[in-house]
Amino acid sequence: MLEIRGITKQFGGLLALKDVHFTVAQGELVALVGPNGAGKSTLFNVIAGALPPTRGHVIFNGRDVTGRSSHDLARLGVARTFQQTTLFGEQTALENVLHGLQRHARPRLVAGLLATPAYRQEQRDLERRALGGLEFLGIASYRDAIAADLPLGIQKLLTVAIALATEPVLLLLDEPAAGLSQDEATRMMNLVASDIRRRCTVVIVEHNMRIVAGWCDRAVVLQFGQTIYDGAPQGLTRDQRVVDAYLGVAEL
Amino acid sequence: MKRGLLALVVAALVILPPFGQPYVLHVAIVVLVNVVYAQALYVIMRMGYLSFGHAGYIALGGYASALLATKLAVSPWVGFLAGGALAAVFAWALGAVTLKLRGIYFSLSVFAFAEVVNAVFRAFEFFGGPAGIAAVPRPALFGARLNTHLQFYYVVLVVALVSLVFLYRLQWTRFGFTLLALRTRETEALAESLGINAARHKTFAFVVSCFFCGLMGAVHVHYLRFVSPFVFTFFLSTDLMVYVMVGGLGSYWGPILGTVLLTGLGEQLFAAGYYKSLVYAVVLLIVILALPGGLISLSRLIGRGGLRGRAAPVDAIAAGER
Repeated sequence: MLEIRGITKQFGGLLALKDVHFTVAQGELVALVGPNGAGKSTLFNVIAGALPPTRGHVIFNGRDVTGRSSHDLARLGVARTFQQTTLFGEQTALENVLHGLQRHARPRLVAGLLATPAYRQEQRDLERRALGGLEFLGIASYRDAIAADLPLGIQKLLTVAIALATEPVLLLLDEPAAGLSQDEATRMMNLVASDIRRRCTVVIVEHNMRIVAGWCDRAVVLQFGQTIYDGAPQGLTRDQRVVDAYLGVAEL
Repeated sequence: MKRGLLALVVAALVILPPFGQPYVLHVAIVVLVNVVYAQALYVIMRMGYLSFGHAGYIALGGYASALLATKLAVSPWVGFLAGGALAAVFAWALGAVTLKLRGIYFSLSVFAFAEVVNAVFRAFEFFGGPAGIAAVPRPALFGARLNTHLQFYYVVLVVALVSLVFLYRLQWTRFGFTLLALRTRETEALAESLGINAARHKTFAFVVSCFFCGLMGAVHVHYLRFVSPFVFTFFLSTDLMVYVMVGGLGSYWGPILGTVLLTGLGEQLFAAGYYKSLVYAVVLLIVILALPGGLISLSRLIGRGGLRGRAAPVDAIAAGER
């Protein structure tokens, strides 16, 4: 469903991604692995439309979506979370999810200004769906809490709830377990690997080999913007290039 | 209780003026005009944009209507709408480009626009040059010109109430809700990733904001019966921001409260000339330091829940400047 064809991204003199190829099949849970600065988040941004690639193509569901804007891609069914746990910090958890639902409701500004009964009903339905989204991830009790005040574990779940509210077919999660305790990370990955992947295809950026090996179907390893491994997570530790990338090579 | 209070205020605004002195009516008109300016400015401040140049859009509306009335004898009623429309068109053209900028860069771009507008009005004789345009007529109703303070007060009241109701309702629409998602670059990227076309939302908000400034600017000029490059200056732009911040950014009622208190105060200090700015500056500093949610946040501290909305700290604006 997703095909990355020879993506190259250059920032001035810096080559962040160099001719990256890989594909993701429907229903897969793929991990994008690599040391810091390998280009994982840049690749996410290219796939999600936040950055145009210098060369190459992104094919999504048989359609070339290279260079489409972020909101276009969201409407086609690509949702993503951000590495920095970006939320609408001043708003409540429920309102955060409501923003994710906006794409399912037509703006209908005039009806909104007049607050017609139909519009209000639609608004109530959206709120019910937003609450459903929180329940899905088990954080409904935080519905009225201000997002910025929530603990990190809940915030991470909330970012996923916001992204899922758009009803994506492809979900990109940028380090969903980073900064979480072992228990929280396990809880998060259990959700991702069961309930969430039943709803959509998932690609995650992840450093942690325990998580990659424990939950993902396949790993794609990037180093210096290039793909150096694409295959089963179990083979990671046996691949010399992956081991070198992570542990470093003895220099003469 | 809130509805009752609101009804009482509106009733007072309708019933009491015939008993007022002309000077009191003058103050009331100035306050109403400024409330609409501040509330229009709040539309974009609510989404994290500070404008140092809304006076430029006010001037566009005012000059448009004044020129139409004096040169082409167009009815001021039409002129009011034409003033709003002209400001909206310029806002649409400029907003599409400048709203990509954040923080001080946006603020400066709007400031520059306002200064250009001002310079053009000053430079060309067609626009009245430095002397401005005099003998701007008042509108007429049923053949009679609305020449007294009292008659014009009701014109201002109607325009102000219609504008304020529109802007209030706008905030509670899905569109108004989405604007809150665009307060910083980070949340804007998040909103985009959710399928929200941020540029379109921001441009429309800016157009609405400037439309009401242009509209009220036109009404204002027909009240003064005169306009010159020295009427709508940089100082008006900054005063409006002070009103909004002192009142509070967290609620619709904040900018109104701030404007009513400070414009009332401003009129009293008019004789003091430039000291007005000094007083505003001191009030603003005190509010930012002691009461970041603005004066409106006091109502929540005291009453707990008479007014809807949540206090957003002024910091949110600063966060937008990164």
